[in-house]
Amino acid sequence: MTTTPRRVSRREQQRQGGTGAKVTIRTTLIAYAFMLPFLALLVLYHTWPVFFGTYLAFTKYNIISPPQWVGLENFQTLLKDEQFWSGLRNSLKYILVVPVIQILSILLALLVNRPLKGIGFFRTAYYVPVVTSFAVVGLIWTWMYQQGGPVNAVLMTLGLMNEDRSLLNNPATALTAVMFVTLWKGVGYYMVLYLAGLQSIAPELEEAAMIDGATRMQVFWNITLPGLRPTILVCSLLSTISAIKVFEEIYVMTQGGPAGSTYSALFFTYSRAFVDFQYGLAAAAGLIIAVISIIFGLINFKLTRGGKTDA
Amino acid sequence: MPEMTVTQASTHESAMLEHARVAAALKARRQRNTRLTNVVAYSVLIVIALIMLYPFYWTLITSFEPTGNIYEAKLLPKGFSLRNYAEIFSGTTVPFWRLIVNSLVICTLGVTLTVTLAALAAYPLSKMHFPGRDLIFYAILVLMVLPNESGLIVNYITTIKLGLLQQTNPVVDAIRQYMAVVLPGLASIVGLFLLRQAYLSVPQELIEAARIDGAPELTIWRRVLLPLALPTIVAFSILEFVAYWNSFLWARIMLPDKNMMPLSAGLLELSGTFSTNSRAVMAGAVITIIPILIVFMLGQKYFMKGLEGAVKG
Repeated sequence: MTTTPRRVSRREQQRQGGTGAKVTIRTTLIAYAFMLPFLALLVLYHTWPVFFGTYLAFTKYNIISPPQWVGLENFQTLLKDEQFWSGLRNSLKYILVVPVIQILSILLALLVNRPLKGIGFFRTAYYVPVVTSFAVVGLIWTWMYQQGGPVNAVLMTLGLMNEDRSLLNNPATALTAVMFVTLWKGVGYYMVLYLAGLQSIAPELEEAAMIDGATRMQVFWNITLPGLRPTILVCSLLSTISAIKVFEEIYVMTQGGPAGSTYSALFFTYSRAFVDFQYGLAAAAGLIIAVISIIFGLINFKLTRGGKTDA
Repeated sequence: MPEMTVTQASTHESAMLEHARVAAALKARRQRNTRLTNVVAYSVLIVIALIMLYPFYWTLITSFEPTGNIYEAKLLPKGFSLRNYAEIFSGTTVPFWRLIVNSLVICTLGVTLTVTLAALAAYPLSKMHFPGRDLIFYAILVLMVLPNESGLIVNYITTIKLGLLQQTNPVVDAIRQYMAVVLPGLASIVGLFLLRQAYLSVPQELIEAARIDGAPELTIWRRVLLPLALPTIVAFSILEFVAYWNSFLWARIMLPDKNMMPLSAGLLELSGTFSTNSRAVMAGAVITIIPILIVFMLGQKYFMKGLEGAVKG
């Protein structure tokens, strides 16, 4: 797709015969000069961490003395570490957010795709949590979840809760409470992506089906949903991976507590590295999380049939 | 069917009238249906908007209250005072204005450099021919897909090894610490893709013409490509502003000096030290959100476009 214009212009250049060896070297130098600052930082902060991080996973390292090769020791330590397992379990539980957030954002996108007056306001309103920092969002919800706070008031009025106690301080409810914040903050983001997906479906298809007597539901299942499949792949991939890597909301709201009920895999990595200074062990945990995200990425790819539309 | 015999007897006009009546009834029913679904749609839209916006509104009104039951659910503030706002600027070891200045410096540095670097690097990748172009392009693609779990750890080590946290004299230290915060984010792969995409739609003839006129490549980039890619540049700048303004984790891990923290990171620091006065922290939260809301409202159109482009690639 992107190679077509290049081929044409390269052929054109050859026809013009104006690209002597000297010019090519000059162009090459200029090209690399343009890219140099970007590439240097890319290598230092993106490529290097992949390799050095993988290497660190097989070492003992505390920054002060040089890394010491220990083979698979870190991984053996992790397998026996109950805290790591509970972090991993919570991160996997967090994947429950994915179907909920995807279904809600598709429904929301369908809703705000209607040509209603003032729909721009609603789209903007739903997007405000997305552009707000987790530092702020986490603090706001920590206050909202307090005993006697607005969330409890609503839940008790609706009869969903019979005792007024802080949801974040209760091991039975803390993870669900944090999940709700993730959902609340993220749904607007996916809504916008689905909205873009909906607008890329040719309206003639839906109109033609309606004229042929299809019901709204039939149109949705047979035209709209298949048309959204590429977007569904991207969105579910993004949200699965960010669910496994859940960290910021937990960092701000619960710090893994109470009683480890919100301790996530990445929180484990963070505390091993920046609290205990066991960089090798932390890197090993990071590597395991990376492999798990790749596996879930592939599962997603399979489930959405590679995001291909049938049409 | 029995009606058919009745209508047979009726005149041409009455048949027409009958048609019109049926059509009108159908139209009325459709309108009634549309009205009904619209009412339902608006109710759902409003309920969701309340869930999305009430937490912000609640924080805002609580931040204005001088006293009272702080966490109580309410629709209107029970009293009004700016005391909490005054306190956030004076009542802590780290003055709030300092955090605002830090955030502004970090955002200006971060956005300017990120956009410039991506805008420069995207030019050869879209409009020049040189050996290794495809290789670099695919290498960057792979990097985007690769999960980077060790990023935080290795980048922390790199920053320390680069000597960015050394302490020598206050001014140099400040510059180094700001750089420590922005450096890891400066090479934005998404930005490179967005700008490359924008440049690709610029006609090659325009660039060839400028080259034949003897314009240096840097001039072509500045005079031809940048103006034509302006919408994408604006969208990307807004995305980056929001990202830099909101980032807190890296700064909190990185910075030894709390005086250098950006607003989002400092707010968490305040909530730790200010445990007795959550209302002051709420005031801080409100101040932290306002610039983002302004930028978001002003650039909303570009912003949404940029986001769509970012994921469609």
